[in-house]
Amino acid sequence: MIEHLPVLLVVLPIIGASVPLVASLYTDRIGWSIAVLTMLAYAALAGLLAQQVWPDTVVSYAVGGFALPYGIELVVDGLSLAVVLLISAITLGVLAYARHAGPHENTFYSQLLLLVTGLTGMTVTGDVFNLYVFLEITGLAAYGLVASGREASAAVAALKYLIIGTVGASLYLLGVGYALAVTGTLNMADMSGKLAAVGYDSTLVLTAFGLMVGGLSVKVALFPLHTWQPDAYANSPDSVSAFISALVSTVSAYALARLLFSVFTVDFLTAVPAARWALIVVASVSIVAGSALAVSQASVQRMLAYSSVSQFGLVIAGFAVATPIAVVGATVHLVGHAVMKGGLFAATGIIERETGTTTIGGYAGMGGRTPLAAGAFTVLALGMVGVPPAIGFVGKWYILVGAVEAELWPVVAVLLASTLLTLAYFARLGERLYFAEPTIREEGAIADGGEGSDGGERAEGSRSSSEPRSEGGDGDDGENAVSTGMLAVLVVAAVLAVALTAAVPALEQLLTETLPPLIQ
Amino acid sequence: MSADDGPGLYVESTIIMTTVRVVAPFVLTFALFIMFHGADTPGGGFQGGVIAGSVVMMLAFAYGIDSTRQWVDVRVVAALASGGVLVFAGIGLGAMALGGNFLQYNVYEPYYYEASKYGIELVELGIGGIVASVAIGLFFLIAAGFGHVTGEGER
Repeated sequence: MIEHLPVLLVVLPIIGASVPLVASLYTDRIGWSIAVLTMLAYAALAGLLAQQVWPDTVVSYAVGGFALPYGIELVVDGLSLAVVLLISAITLGVLAYARHAGPHENTFYSQLLLLVTGLTGMTVTGDVFNLYVFLEITGLAAYGLVASGREASAAVAALKYLIIGTVGASLYLLGVGYALAVTGTLNMADMSGKLAAVGYDSTLVLTAFGLMVGGLSVKVALFPLHTWQPDAYANSPDSVSAFISALVSTVSAYALARLLFSVFTVDFLTAVPAARWALIVVASVSIVAGSALAVSQASVQRMLAYSSVSQFGLVIAGFAVATPIAVVGATVHLVGHAVMKGGLFAATGIIERETGTTTIGGYAGMGGRTPLAAGAFTVLALGMVGVPPAIGFVGKWYILVGAVEAELWPVVAVLLASTLLTLAYFARLGERLYFAEPTIREEGAIADGGEGSDGGERAEGSRSSSEPRSEGGDGDDGENAVSTGMLAVLVVAAVLAVALTAAVPALEQLLTETLPPLIQ
Repeated sequence: MSADDGPGLYVESTIIMTTVRVVAPFVLTFALFIMFHGADTPGGGFQGGVIAGSVVMMLAFAYGIDSTRQWVDVRVVAALASGGVLVFAGIGLGAMALGGNFLQYNVYEPYYYEASKYGIELVELGIGGIVASVAIGLFFLIAAGFGHVTGEGER
């Protein structure tokens, strides 16, 4: 049993995903319970796996018992373990949120568990083609989840996501094809040795690197390949945006790191400085452009989405710097960003339910109306900016120290500027929340003025806020009420954003012991 | 809601309907062929499943999305998806129960001499079912958003 843990982590959610489909022939409200049971078992398995990996073991598993370079290998080291634990925690959090917030259909929970399957598979696999398969499973489930929103815009966003995402996955597959042609193997460990033997300056190897990294950059949503992401985040139901904003790009960024360190290795990065610089430039442009776009948004959810473009630039920059301390920083920021961004999207969902507003203009003066949600939102936003006790600070600080050590001064400049830019868009929102006069009356009537640039958003805000709503008094308007579970998730996310700082030394030790060699 | 309300989503055409009616059985056969040959030639459950799913999309183009949605039984799609998963996971976990690794087909060989071969075939069929049903479901899900702009329709 214990040696089968890596594969059980993948199989458990996919079995869980099939049960609600059968169950919907009898009842349409059982999906949530099944998903919770599955994810509790998943958390237990992840815990057992952590026990096995801690402090310095790399767990490997040969699927089907085929001899290793030929069969599919599953590998769990410190980096993948951190991501598996993250998936487990975030999914449980999203389930607690969705208990009341919905969607309630069984099919939603099937897709959610299917997405967990894909994400887990991407995390534990040690095979570049298998990574593609799980990338596609993740993608299909995510398209379906985005499309489950009720408005027509959700379907458009899902279609856009589907087309761009498929192009990205195909680029990655093409890259795998080149790598297979040059090495004759698909196993990551085996491939890294054979790539070195072929020579890193071979055109085929360079093409494979470009295509695989380019394909994954689409999934990570680095600028200018991010265009699917704001629509997908902003148009899906709030449970879905919290879930995919926290996990989908995160796991793709993990896959990119896995490719850099376990397949191409840091020797490739030192042998081909152009490749490393290309990554650093794309990441830096992403940081700056993402922040600039975030500042110019009127809708809070779109602002958060563009903020993700910028933060993932930061993570990828950390991985591309590739010194041990920068990689620890990038991993910390990867995990921290997932918790904070998921929490921020949950907060926007709660604020929308309580006040009916989705725009920055509409947030004016809402600090007093929804003190808990606004407070948590502010804590998470400050964490994202990088105010010291929060996890956001530690991640950025480590990446910065790594860049200074590697003497990559342009990166240092961009990193420092990015903190200011992040402050620029979150400070604007904080100012609106606490120091501006409300533009929305208690009765729910929308005052004119404020941002006029986003007509659709405003119209939508006024539509939903013109519905009668109870302000925590008689709490019986089922659709828009906020449950304790939703608030609890938000508070836990805010607490985690600070408390995770305590786990950084453990993560650092785990990564130093189990990761392949990095640039010293 | 009839499809005529949409902005030119569906145009009835005898040529398309006749062609689809003739081609559909062949496409479905080809899908099964691809699935069964996954073990020893290029192909397999993924590719075959997508081809099988495309049959339903062809029907939707020919006869309209809404009428196809009514014609396709949701229970069949659900059964295909979960049946596929259960076949796949069952064979995999069964191998583990017999002391092998996940999907280690040769542990079944003491019970049936061609277990490896047919084990792979069954898994391919299972995957084909999953992929086909997911493709069909995704198609209807996205189409629902375009057909019902008011947002009251789902699936």
